[in-house]
Amino acid sequence: MALTGRTALLAALGSIPVGILAPSWAGMLAVNAPLCFAILCDYALAAPVRTLQFTRSGDTSVRLGDAAHVDLTVTNPSRRPLRAQLRDAWPPSSWLPGTEQTSSRHRLTVPAGERRRLTTSLRPTRRGDRRAERITVRSHGPLGLAARQGNHEVPWAVRVLPPFTSRKHLPSRLARLRELDGRTSVLTRGEGTEFDSLREYVPGDDTRSIDWRATARQSAVAVRTWRPERDRHILIVLDTGRTSAGRVGDIPRLDASMDAALLLTALASRAGDRVDLLAYDRRLRAQVQGRSARDVLPAVVNALAPLEPELVETDARGLAATALARAPRRSLIVLLTSLDAAPIEEGLLPVLPQLAQRHTVLLASVSDPHIARMATTRGTIEGVYEAAAATQTRSQRSRTADQLRRHGATVVDASPDTLAPALADAYLALKAAGRL
Amino acid sequence: MSRPATSTTSTAPSARQLWTRARGAALVLALVLIGGLALATLRSSDAHGALDPRSADPNGSRAVAELLTSRGIELTLVTTLDEATAATDQDTTLLVTAPDLLTQSQQSSLRRTMTSSIGRTVLVGPGRSSLDTLAPGVTSSTSARVENRAPSCTLAEATRAGSVDLGGERYLTAPGATADSCYLSDGLPTLLRLPGQDTTDTVLLGSPDILYNKRLDQQGNASLALQLLGSRPHLVWYLPSLTDASATADAPDDGTTGNFLSLIPSGWLWGTLQLAIAALLAAIWRARRLGPLVTERLPVALRASEATEGRARLYRKANARDRAASVLRTATRTRIAPLLGVPVQDAHSADRLLPALSARLPETTADPRHLLFGPAPADDATLIRLADQLDALEREVRTS
Repeated sequence: MALTGRTALLAALGSIPVGILAPSWAGMLAVNAPLCFAILCDYALAAPVRTLQFTRSGDTSVRLGDAAHVDLTVTNPSRRPLRAQLRDAWPPSSWLPGTEQTSSRHRLTVPAGERRRLTTSLRPTRRGDRRAERITVRSHGPLGLAARQGNHEVPWAVRVLPPFTSRKHLPSRLARLRELDGRTSVLTRGEGTEFDSLREYVPGDDTRSIDWRATARQSAVAVRTWRPERDRHILIVLDTGRTSAGRVGDIPRLDASMDAALLLTALASRAGDRVDLLAYDRRLRAQVQGRSARDVLPAVVNALAPLEPELVETDARGLAATALARAPRRSLIVLLTSLDAAPIEEGLLPVLPQLAQRHTVLLASVSDPHIARMATTRGTIEGVYEAAAATQTRSQRSRTADQLRRHGATVVDASPDTLAPALADAYLALKAAGRL
Repeated sequence: MSRPATSTTSTAPSARQLWTRARGAALVLALVLIGGLALATLRSSDAHGALDPRSADPNGSRAVAELLTSRGIELTLVTTLDEATAATDQDTTLLVTAPDLLTQSQQSSLRRTMTSSIGRTVLVGPGRSSLDTLAPGVTSSTSARVENRAPSCTLAEATRAGSVDLGGERYLTAPGATADSCYLSDGLPTLLRLPGQDTTDTVLLGSPDILYNKRLDQQGNASLALQLLGSRPHLVWYLPSLTDASATADAPDDGTTGNFLSLIPSGWLWGTLQLAIAALLAAIWRARRLGPLVTERLPVALRASEATEGRARLYRKANARDRAASVLRTATRTRIAPLLGVPVQDAHSADRLLPALSARLPETTADPRHLLFGPAPADDATLIRLADQLDALEREVRTS
């Protein structure tokens, strides 16, 4: 049962006849009894809410920043027309702030025995799964004085995927990859690279790669071409512990790390390498394993979508053990974590030798541009102290990075918008050097 | 992709669910009602109609009323004080069956009537709460058991009636007051007659037993009752009741200050009342929400640079100029050492760094030793200047 503004207005207008014509209980009764009767009639004549039938269809996943459309079909099986307000409730982060009212509310009229479709447009502001809450229908009577109200549960979920903004860097990195492949020009020779073919020498080629035997057999100077190894194994390990929750700019470190992981996945799968993914803090949070090159990127995107940072200290020992268990042969282990001194020194450094013994370890971390800005503030005493604190933080980070490098790890420390290309470049450099 | 339409999406509880939910409460309510009714029927049987002249129950008083009527006494039964005072005059006996039930203002009003215009007033069992007003000068003592007592006084009615069943309240009269004290219990009377002006008098009965149907035929009960109540041609039998309007009108309204509301035309009042109903309806309209709020688990929002900012504030609070200066100097040394061709591990030894620096910048004005390895700044201004000078030195090294 719900009343409308019209009811209150009628009651207010009723004060005029009551005040002027019949200022007594009889007058009150003469005004309010018909009003009450009209309300009851209206309520009785409103289309029932309980028997309505709902069907959902539409998008089940959307990239963060895009709009998703979820259709809702309302069937009115009763013999009375439905004039209703409908609220399709979703969690608040499904809409841009301030647009929730207009996006979730609908007015609809469904004649008796017919069905209508309406569309709710979602514009999620965060990654993760958005589940439809209840549908509330307020069915008005023919006079518009009273309404029946009821709820329906019609489940639906929209998965909001990471935005993958760094995909704009993919074409340039793929071009670099083709250069490495020996299809276009000079190759850098590295240990363990695979022999590809012989071709005629062109000025500019590395003289070390001239194949003298082949040259002797033919009239022209022949050089060997190499191509980087294929079918290497890459294990991306995402640290979802407390250090990944800190926001750099307006996004958490974890999201920047995910972006870098996606670019690396896209690039490595094109390069013919196998990519696995692991997200870990104190337990396994997500994993992708053994996918073919074609469907690894969608699988990784799907696995990353619902991940949120946990406010716990990462268990580095467990992380190393899990990573080792999932990398049986020589692999490139890409650790996306932070370079904060304490967690690295107490957690990662003791287990790093285990990892580096059999695998190549690449550690990527999101640095904070705000710290770099702070380090250059001058002029006021607060500014100088800020600069000193920021310089201290940076020198600690670089000291930690040096320690890691001494243990044989490659370290990439970059701001959120440059981390993904920097990680891709580090991967390409390792590949070119034949260290995979 | 679409799902098959289901008719069970509604979250409104069905009639069966409502019944399942409500039946426990309904059962408890029914038990309470039945229990209450049963208790009421069992417990109220003998207390019903006590001292009522129409009641033939053991504790009723129909017998004495019939006897009085048959002797030609006109009996009037009243339940409100207004009726009681209106029905009385000099030829009347007023019987008040429960004077303790009267409110203070009712007692005062009754007392005014008693002293001026009632022949005889019989008060049955007046206690502490009513004696002060209705019988000034008389106080009550601890009550006694109801039993057969001898008159032991000179009151004509008592001597004629002989011993009767009395007890209950015992009364103490102020010294020097004239009163007939009869049916003593340990020296205190359970029947007291206080003569008033002219022929009026007041009789206090400690207990109502002589008026009960069940006791009327014993001893001299009937005789005493008939003599006490039959001394005047009219008898007003007053049973105080809760429906008496005078009980609630404790505050006397003097009527001199006019009520503000009475000055407003009634049309405005009724119109405002109707507007209030409209406001209530509007409140109901606005209060009904279109579905409940949706809750959501929010992510943690903390800046990654918070620890660094906190450390800056700590430096500021502790005035850690030495620490800040050494951090800045170390950073500058680390940065310029590779530019000067000095290995990084030697960057912090003055003997290696300074010669290389003076070789690169022979004409520099600043004192590099004081700048890079000097003591901690003494005040804030020096620290700010030091930071600027370090920047300038680094720029010089880079551009040289």
